[in-house]
Amino acid sequence: MATTLAVQDLEKTYGSGEDAVRAVRHVSFETAPGEFVALVGPSGSGKTTLLAMIGGLLAPTGGRIVVNGSEVGGAAKRDLAKYRREMVGFVFQANNLLPFLTARENLLVPAALGSLDKRDANARAGRLLEELGLEKRRNALATQLSGGERQRVAIARALMNDPRLVLVDEPTASLDSARGRQVVESLIREVRARDVLGIMVTHDMAMAELADRVLEMHDGEIREHRAGKLAT
Amino acid sequence: MIGLLEIRRRKMQFALIALIVTLISYLVLMINGLGVGLNVLAGSALQNFDADAIAYSDGASVSVIRSELSQATVDAIGKTPGVTDSAPIGYVSANYRRADGKVNSAAFLGYDPGTIGEPKVTEGRALTAEDAGGLLADKSFLKATGLDVGDEVEITFRLERRAFTIVGEIDEGAFFFQPAVYVLRSTWDTLRYGARGDETPAASIVLLKGKGLPGKTGAGFEVVNKRTAFANIEGVSGQQSTVTSLRVFGYIIGALVIGVFFYVLTLQKIPQIGVLKAIGASNFFVFRQILLQVVGISAVGLAISVPLAMVSDAALRRLPDAVPIAFTTGTFVTTSALLLLMAIVGTAFSGRQVVKVDPIIALGQQQ
Ligand SMILES: Nc1ncnc2c1ncn2[C@@H]1O[C@H](COP(=O)(O)OP(=O)(O)O)[C@@H](O)[C@H]1O
Ligand SMILES: [Mg+2]
Repeated sequence: MATTLAVQDLEKTYGSGEDAVRAVRHVSFETAPGEFVALVGPSGSGKTTLLAMIGGLLAPTGGRIVVNGSEVGGAAKRDLAKYRREMVGFVFQANNLLPFLTARENLLVPAALGSLDKRDANARAGRLLEELGLEKRRNALATQLSGGERQRVAIARALMNDPRLVLVDEPTASLDSARGRQVVESLIREVRARDVLGIMVTHDMAMAELADRVLEMHDGEIREHRAGKLAT
Repeated sequence: MIGLLEIRRRKMQFALIALIVTLISYLVLMINGLGVGLNVLAGSALQNFDADAIAYSDGASVSVIRSELSQATVDAIGKTPGVTDSAPIGYVSANYRRADGKVNSAAFLGYDPGTIGEPKVTEGRALTAEDAGGLLADKSFLKATGLDVGDEVEITFRLERRAFTIVGEIDEGAFFFQPAVYVLRSTWDTLRYGARGDETPAASIVLLKGKGLPGKTGAGFEVVNKRTAFANIEGVSGQQSTVTSLRVFGYIIGALVIGVFFYVLTLQKIPQIGVLKAIGASNFFVFRQILLQVVGISAVGLAISVPLAMVSDAALRRLPDAVPIAFTTGTFVTTSALLLLMAIVGTAFSGRQVVKVDPIIALGQQQ
C-alpha cells in the first residue's frame, strides 16, 4: 500500500512573545502515492522544522499532519517513538551511525528496537548492504567508512524496518558533488523500489532535480511546487 | 546487545572502569571481612556455646566480667521452668607468654565435664575430673604460643604462676577478644578466687537449653539470648558501628564512582542517544543498554575482587599475628549483591540524562 501524506495548515512557532520565530507558516500540501519529494529553500526557511514535524520529532503549534489516514503529532512521546520506529526511516546529516558498531551492526539497530526477528533482520540487512554496494564493507566499523559509504549505510538503516516514509535531511552535506549525487541516486532508487514516500531536504538544486517534485520554502511558507526535471 | 558490543569495542575505556570497580569492591569486601573477623575475635566461643540462652547475675548488665553467681543461684537457674539442661561456666582472664616473648591474656573458661558446657576436642583428649592441671587450648592459642598438645604452658594470674599441661586442642575460637582456654571449673575456681570460702561464687554464667528462656529473671539472675550476650561484650557495639559505617561509606562511594563514570559516558554519548531515540528507541531501551554495561562491568569487577579477597584472606592467615579478617560465603554473596545493587543505583543519574535527551538533536538543529 502506497503512503499518503497530507499536511494541512501546519504551523510551528519557536518561543513566544518578542522572541517568537514563526519557522513554519500555514503550510499545506499533499503527496501522491510513492512520490519522492525534494524540499529546497534558503537556510533558515523552515525545511528542517517541517521535516521534523512530519517525522514526529517536533510537535506542531498548529495544523495537522495525516499519514495514511491517521494524524501524527499531539500524541504522547511514547506513541511518537513508536510512530518513528514503525513508520519512519530517517537519514540525517553526516555521521549519525553508532561509531563502535560495524556497518552491518548499525543496520541491526532498528531491528533490535522493533519486532523484527533475528533471522529476518540478518537477511534483510544482508540484502540492503548488497543493494547499496556495501557488501564488502559490511564488517568495517562506522568510523572506518568513507563519508559516502556512511550515508549509504544510513540509507540502508532507514529502510531496515520497512518504513512508510523516508525522511532525509541534507544527506550530501558532507560529500563532494559526485559522491553526493551517487548517494542521492541510490536513495531515490531504493525508495522507489519500495513504493514508499520519500521527502528529502536539500539546498542543492542539482540534487533536488532528481526528485519527482520540488517544494520550495521561503520564510516558513511553501512558495513553489514544481515537478523535478527527471520525473517528467 | 548494543551496550555489550560497545564494551567489546571500547575495551580500554571499560577496562579502566572495571579496574576501579574491582578496587572498590575489594575494599568493601575486606571491610566486610574485617567486620566478620572482629566478631569472631570478640566472641566466636560464645557463639559456639551449645546453649539457647545464657544466665548472668542480675547486677552485671550482661557482662561476663562482672557476673558472679553463687551455688544457690546456679541451682535456682537450673530449676527455672522451661530449662531442659544447664551448665555453669566460670570465666577469668589470665596471662600467657607468646612464642615471640610478648605477654598476652587468654580467656580461661571453667566447665564441668559431661555438661553442655564441654567443648569439642579436635585433637588430644577431653579433660577428666582428675585433670586439675590440664587445659584444652584453642587453635589460636597453640598458634600464638607455638605449643602443641602434650606441652606445658605457664600461666600467670595476679602474682601467681601456674604450669598447665595442654591435654587437648579445641576449635572454639576467641572469647572476649582472647583465645579460649578451657579448664575444669574447680581449677578455674582456685585460679580466680584462690582459697575457697563460703561466699565464693560458683560460676560466672550458666548456659541454658530450653524454649522461651530469654527475658526470664529470678532471684539474683537474668537470662538473655546469645545475640544479646554477644552484643553486650564490651567493645562489640562500638566496633560494629565503626565497621558498619565503613561499610556504608564503601557502598556509597562505589555507587557514586560507578554513577559518575557512567554519567560522564552518557554525557559523551548524547548525540548518539539522540539518534537512537530519533529512530524510535524508547528511553527504556537506551537505559537498558547502560544498565547492561553497568551490570557487566560490575560483574567483571566482582569476578576479580572476590577471588582476590579470598587470596588475601589465605595470605593473612599465614601471618603470625592474626589479622582479624574472616570471610563467610554469606559475606561474599551479600557484599557482591549489594555492590551490584549500588552500581545500579548509581546509574540513576544516567537514566535522568537519557530521558532528557530530545531526539530532535539528531537533526542537528538544536544544541
Ligand atoms: N529550536 C529552535 N528554537 C528557536 N528557533 C529555531 C529553532 N530551530 C530552528 N529555529 C529557527 O527556525 C527557523 C527555521 O529553521 P530550520 O527549520 O532549521 O530551517 P532550515 O532547515 O531551512 O535551514 C530559523 O529561523 C531558525 O533559526
Ligand atoms: Mg536545516
